[in-house]
Amino acid sequence: MKPRRIIEVGLPRLLAWCLLGFLFVPILVVIPVALTDRDYLSLPRDGISMQHFAALADWSKGWLPSMLTSAGIALACAAIATALGVAFAVGAWAAGGWWPSLMRILLLSPMIVPPIIYAVGMVKLWARLSLLDSYTGVVLVHVVLALPLTVLAIGASLSNLDQRLVQAARSLGARPMTVFGKVILPNIVPGVAAGALLAFVASWDEITVTLFITGRAVVTLPRRIWTSIQDAVDPALAAIATVLLVITVLALIARALIEHRQQQRKF
Amino acid sequence: MALLVIDDLAKTYDKVTALTGINLSVEAGEFVTLLGPSGSGKTTLLMSLAGFTTPSNGTISLDGKDITHVDPEDRNFGFVFQGYALFPHLTVANNIAFSLRVRKWEKARIAARVTEMLSLVGLDNLAERKPRELSGGQQQRVAIARALAFGPRILLLDEPLSALDRMLRETMQKELKRLHRETGVTFVYVTHDQEEAIAMSDRIAVFNHGRIVEIGPPRDLYKKPSTRFVAGFLGENNFLSGHRADDDQTKVEAFGTRFGFPLAKDGERPGDSLTVWVRPEDIRIGQATGDEIGFRATVVENSFVGALERILLKATTGEQMVATLRSEAAVAAVPGQIIDCRIDPSAIGVLPNEVQRS
Repeated sequence: MKPRRIIEVGLPRLLAWCLLGFLFVPILVVIPVALTDRDYLSLPRDGISMQHFAALADWSKGWLPSMLTSAGIALACAAIATALGVAFAVGAWAAGGWWPSLMRILLLSPMIVPPIIYAVGMVKLWARLSLLDSYTGVVLVHVVLALPLTVLAIGASLSNLDQRLVQAARSLGARPMTVFGKVILPNIVPGVAAGALLAFVASWDEITVTLFITGRAVVTLPRRIWTSIQDAVDPALAAIATVLLVITVLALIARALIEHRQQQRKF
Repeated sequence: MALLVIDDLAKTYDKVTALTGINLSVEAGEFVTLLGPSGSGKTTLLMSLAGFTTPSNGTISLDGKDITHVDPEDRNFGFVFQGYALFPHLTVANNIAFSLRVRKWEKARIAARVTEMLSLVGLDNLAERKPRELSGGQQQRVAIARALAFGPRILLLDEPLSALDRMLRETMQKELKRLHRETGVTFVYVTHDQEEAIAMSDRIAVFNHGRIVEIGPPRDLYKKPSTRFVAGFLGENNFLSGHRADDDQTKVEAFGTRFGFPLAKDGERPGDSLTVWVRPEDIRIGQATGDEIGFRATVVENSFVGALERILLKATTGEQMVATLRSEAAVAAVPGQIIDCRIDPSAIGVLPNEVQRS
């Protein structure tokens, strides 16, 4: 019996741990590297140092400005993509029929077309419209890339919503805008929030198309990281990775807490 | 003048006709049921009344004013949906208050009306619950309270009881009748359940193939249907083939008997074939007396269904029919036995054979 138990329970468990290790160890390794006391990418030797974190805060090094640039672009992108996503998803949900399905396929095409091909096209177009290396240009491109994500997220929460709620609200005297604001929107908040978050993240770490359409004026964080890798591998890179990791973990914990509280309120 | 007048209404989807030639007047305070099998057009008519479906032809008027193309939100009709369609994010009280907030009522007036509606449907202590925390019957009551809160001209109900179990359905039927009486609101009720229609309505409009086949009080439709469809759809019925007697135009011959019956339609000729119907509860056991119609039949089967016995008979001329009898009257009905049966001629109906429509 014993050897069989090892194969049936022990082996899958070992594999699971290996997989988790494979996923997380490379991520976690950035933390000691960020604390290195040397000025190249390495593990700390004579003790830990915060110098690379200090460098991040140094405005002239360019990390902080690029973080702000990225945050601004990602916020604008999330706001626009969410608004457009809600408008499309709700419209398609309410209208039904064949044309919303067709439109959905068109909207999802940025997910299907490789970004590099999209980038080449955008360079040509933006050059003609003089939007190259401009905030507007980057935001617009990111909106197009994020739109499929918001439409999918919002569409998913709409698919659980009873279509007759619209008829119910109208029979009770509500005009279309009231129906949207008082009935539809409150019921799809989780989907809208998820869509906004996905759009923010998509813009925050977009690099392929951004590389093509930006130069010196607009430097997003991914672009700054890209440039820094090209000339010298700066441990500040590990420091910034650590900062992002901490933010992500905090966000996940916050989400879990909120969900837990909502679950408790339900019962 | 009637409150609601539907004139020659029709609805065609692409090439499919959902409704044709619908004419119906509803008086203020009436309880009218649109009854029919699924796909017969009754729901399409209700949706047209609510304004969710635009008719292809004809008009709907309220108080003599044409409302055919008025938006649903401007009609002031309450609507109770199949499956309720309560707002899941709002409490019971806020669901009921929705129409009042839209109409910009004052806070105190809204609170008073919500309390009034909650006690009308008997949900006083559930005001702060969310719809998902309620049972089906309770959700149903909320849906009705919500639709009645703003004082609608007409309450439209789309199979509101179909999701409930049998016991609850009967309770809710009584509840709806009480609400209809107490509020005085006009009800237009859609159902495919003929028992429900008979139990609740002032008048029933029977639908089939997108048309109204017959309109009338439940008793009239049950006792004197003028079409084979209504005779078969409302309650259980036995259909037997018969014909006008060759030698005496006042008589009809069927299942080996002969009885007087006025012409079923003008221009009927001797020997014309007819459909004769008799309700299972009108077939009795025993020797015919007076002008009763008597016949002999073999008992094929006898099943106990609670208050009544259900007996399958085969007349000596071959026709099968079902009789329902009280248990003590059915003692003689032993399977295999040949027994005497009798029918009061006034309980029998004769219909001209309809030209089959596909």
